[in-house]
Amino acid sequence: MSLLERDGSKKIEISSLQYDGIQKCLTELTQKTRATALLLSDINGQLIAQNGDTRQINTSVLSALAASDFAATSEMAKIVGEKARFRLLFHEGETNNVYLSNVGENHFLVIVFATSVTLGVIRVYTKKAVETLLEIVNNSSDADNGKEILNTEFNLHLNDALDSIFKK
Amino acid sequence: MFINWALQEINLKIVYYGPGMSGKTTNLEYIHSKLDSSVAGDLVSLKTKEDRTIFFDFLQLDVGRIKGKRPKFNLYTVPGQVFYASSRKIILKGVDGIVFVADSQKDRMDSNIETLLDLENNLSEEGMDIKVFPWVIQYNKRDLTGIESIDILQGELNRYKVPYFESVAVNGDGVFNTLKAIINSVILKAQKEL
Ligand SMILES: Nc1nc2c(ncn2[C@@H]2O[C@H](COP(=O)(O)OP(=O)(O)OP(=O)(O)O)[C@@H](O)[C@H]2O)c(=O)[nH]1
Ligand SMILES: [Mg+2]
Repeated sequence: MSLLERDGSKKIEISSLQYDGIQKCLTELTQKTRATALLLSDINGQLIAQNGDTRQINTSVLSALAASDFAATSEMAKIVGEKARFRLLFHEGETNNVYLSNVGENHFLVIVFATSVTLGVIRVYTKKAVETLLEIVNNSSDADNGKEILNTEFNLHLNDALDSIFKK
Repeated sequence: MFINWALQEINLKIVYYGPGMSGKTTNLEYIHSKLDSSVAGDLVSLKTKEDRTIFFDFLQLDVGRIKGKRPKFNLYTVPGQVFYASSRKIILKGVDGIVFVADSQKDRMDSNIETLLDLENNLSEEGMDIKVFPWVIQYNKRDLTGIESIDILQGELNRYKVPYFESVAVNGDGVFNTLKAIINSVILKAQKEL
């Protein structure tokens, strides 16, 4: 699901099959833990899937911030001589807690939950979900058909849309 | 580039890079101030008390469905100050296109050159090659006196002949032209590779 391009940049794809599997797993995790919201992101902050009640949460921003949080603590770990990066991060708030857990090397989970939910419950179910998710994201299933996602016509339309959006 | 085939979404990461105080954050602030909130989400800025970027700014553009597809552009800025080198490396991971915001003032030429070298090194450390990578240059602060001519800036900074734009980011001149150009370069590249 991750391809290296000629200039070295990376392309990551999630197939419909993978996405369904991810959503199924996240839905289960939300139900079991009674977490408010869950995000699955890649290590660079790209949001892949979200679940639970995310209406009050800007999830793409949360995803970007969580990734930098991970990246910054990994650098800190290196500086203090830690060999592996921290596997999880926990932020305790007044009403909400945020729990971040690695999903392998390239992904992580963000779990937002009320302080009334105990951390133990979150930890136990998350651990199981991480295994499932890891299997899904590492298993590059058949990518979908219709690869002509971007063609010349798309370009024209995109430019029209940009022109009308950028018009002051 | 991240594609979610189930949602027909394509996400592209564009990073504004350049020396300290060149106007990277100002670009995002202008974009955010002019666009409808349905297109531009929240602008998140991790900055010092003095408004210098300490980690990054982030702004997501969602232009809606186009031919059934939903392209989203994640715009980031890096901190330009020299000692935030590790933050710049982190933000560059997974980048699809770069806007290099140069400061046109004569006394900022060395900083422009140093930062461009820093960019080249960081990209190559990530296995990316600036020669074939989509990027554009924005020569900012054209409103000031004591600025370098475009000819000289071009000679010093645009060795690879990428598209370039003159701008006055504080009042928005050139900001959308630059953004449109990098979006097109990035999309064009994505097209070739799909
Ligand atoms: N005169 C003039 N000033 C500008 C222009 N663009 C930005 N500025 C000013 O330059 C200063 C620095 O702008 P920022 O956008 O914060 O710079 P930056 O590149 O994000 O700086 P760092 O975060 O430290 O890397 C601010 O006071 C801006 O108002 C311009 O086109 N003309
Ligand atoms: Mg800034």
